[in-house]
Amino acid sequence: MNKVILASGTALMLAMGVAQTPALAQEKTLTISVYALAQDEYKQIVYDPFQKICGCKLVVETGNSVERLAKMEANKANPVVDMAVISMADALAASRAGLTDKIDTSKLANFSKLYDVAKDPNGDGMSVGYTFYATSIAYRSDKMKIDSWADLLKPEYASHVAWPNVTTNQGPPALYMLGLALAKDTPDLKAPIEAVGAKKGEIVTFYEKSSQLVQLMQQEEIWAAPIGRFTWAPFTKLGFPIAWATPKEGQTGGMNVMTVTKGSKNRDLALQFMDFWLSTEVQTKLAEKLIDSPSNKDVKLPEAIANNLTYGEETAKSLKLIPSAVALDNRAGWIKTWNEKVGQ
Amino acid sequence: MFQNRAEALALALPAAIFAAAVFLVPVVILLSDGFRVPTGGWTISAYTDFFSNSLNQTVFLRTLRLGALVTIASAAIGYAAAFAIVSLEPGAKGKVTGLVVLPLMISPVARTYAWIVILGRTGIVNQAFQALGITEAPLRILFSETAIFIGLLQLFLPLMIISLISALENMPKDAIPAARVLGANWFQVFWKVVLPLTKEGLVIGGTLVFTGSLTAYITPAILGGSKVLMLETLLYQQVAVSNNFVAASVIAFILIVMSFAANILLKRVATARNKQRSQA
Repeated sequence: MNKVILASGTALMLAMGVAQTPALAQEKTLTISVYALAQDEYKQIVYDPFQKICGCKLVVETGNSVERLAKMEANKANPVVDMAVISMADALAASRAGLTDKIDTSKLANFSKLYDVAKDPNGDGMSVGYTFYATSIAYRSDKMKIDSWADLLKPEYASHVAWPNVTTNQGPPALYMLGLALAKDTPDLKAPIEAVGAKKGEIVTFYEKSSQLVQLMQQEEIWAAPIGRFTWAPFTKLGFPIAWATPKEGQTGGMNVMTVTKGSKNRDLALQFMDFWLSTEVQTKLAEKLIDSPSNKDVKLPEAIANNLTYGEETAKSLKLIPSAVALDNRAGWIKTWNEKVGQ
Repeated sequence: MFQNRAEALALALPAAIFAAAVFLVPVVILLSDGFRVPTGGWTISAYTDFFSNSLNQTVFLRTLRLGALVTIASAAIGYAAAFAIVSLEPGAKGKVTGLVVLPLMISPVARTYAWIVILGRTGIVNQAFQALGITEAPLRILFSETAIFIGLLQLFLPLMIISLISALENMPKDAIPAARVLGANWFQVFWKVVLPLTKEGLVIGGTLVFTGSLTAYITPAILGGSKVLMLETLLYQQVAVSNNFVAASVIAFILIVMSFAANILLKRVATARNKQRSQA
């Protein structure tokens, strides 16, 4: 027994001794906070190549945005995370809570290549968009015809529709578009929530995970659902005629952004990392793997790939996004109204 | 077993410390959140707020109702199944009991997902109903209380059957024939003889099924979704969506109290019957 301990202790010391030299070279550490999506691909396309370029170590924290923001808030005095990618509205929340700092875009060589909407989504200089997505309606073109967001609530269609729950990322944008269709688009989303509530018995489900929809569509449990473009690809492989609607009110969507933490000790390294992620090369690779739609307008994609993404200047300009301030100031109210009209 | 009481206590100490450190202390911390005022002091306002909200009332009553229905249904089906199994030959008994236990070894996620296929508009239930002419159009079963009820019943029925099998096996073999000879009908045999003699098993099975139904998350999440919220799915929403740990702690406390209350109530019912008999 003693021999084993001795031997493993020696092995450990040797290993540490050997590791000493590269560890010194890698003294810089950058901690990033990201969504827990497609991490294998990100590692291959973004993280590993960047570590080679900067000679630094990348620590990746993952989780949903609520958890990650809560963590940043808890570590406010002594930030652990150097840069975080979150949704546009959460970026404004973080900025209001004093968790993020202005981004020195002069240090981002690729900044000028971004679509205008991505350059400063919240107009406060605290975030840069790295990907955006359209939200519209995926529907069975042999069973129904969708020209407007309000068509989903037609009596003959409503019992074949899954609607996003208000707590999901697709929920508020879908309600916002329904409001436009009903010509009652107040920021409190009262009219569209009431309209959905009036049909709550018929609507199949209020989904929380978009992954569930593919199965429901395959079982013909549903014919239509508002979805984000990033979940579109699996629907095209079901063997049904499923179309992406272009309603007359337009498409909505969302944008994910990069932020730098206030008080980060690795500011320059964080900016270097962001610039790398925004580069044409990295954005092209991420798009080719259908992970993120590019916010860099120099990215050129073949049609087959572009079809599965939210791509191009025209699309970027046409998306009707809910302004972050509206989302933040009304979110609690939306959930309250939803719970009163739809939740019970 | 131990001559020295201190020795026995010393042996129990590591387990007790472990349980206290990783279970009791975190639970107390979690639950105390629901009673704490951020500025200091204690309050029950989080609880009065919770129960004054009509959505929460609906969800609370639904959770209670479904838990009770699943428990009653599993007791009814469980007694029938347990009787049948106990009366089998020893070899067959082992095999059938094994079959009852088998579903417990399959992940609840897989079992619940199967229900989505079975209960769907194009699933076998609807196909059978339509083929038999019971309904014309497919019924909507998924994302309803019915779907959650079916899912939970399948999930927890084995626990009830197993508890009742061991209770029935411990019952004197002559009890039923004796009651019959003395003129009791089958209902009287069950109510006056079998039930009192197997109440321990019913209390254990009932507690397992009821608390299981209260705390199961996957089944209500998949088969009910946000359209039919239960306390456990509401708790998830409060934590993962609203980041409201106070409300979540309130729900957790309510779930724990409901579980204890169910156990006490079931025991009380069982002993009350005993007293009645001894007085008579």
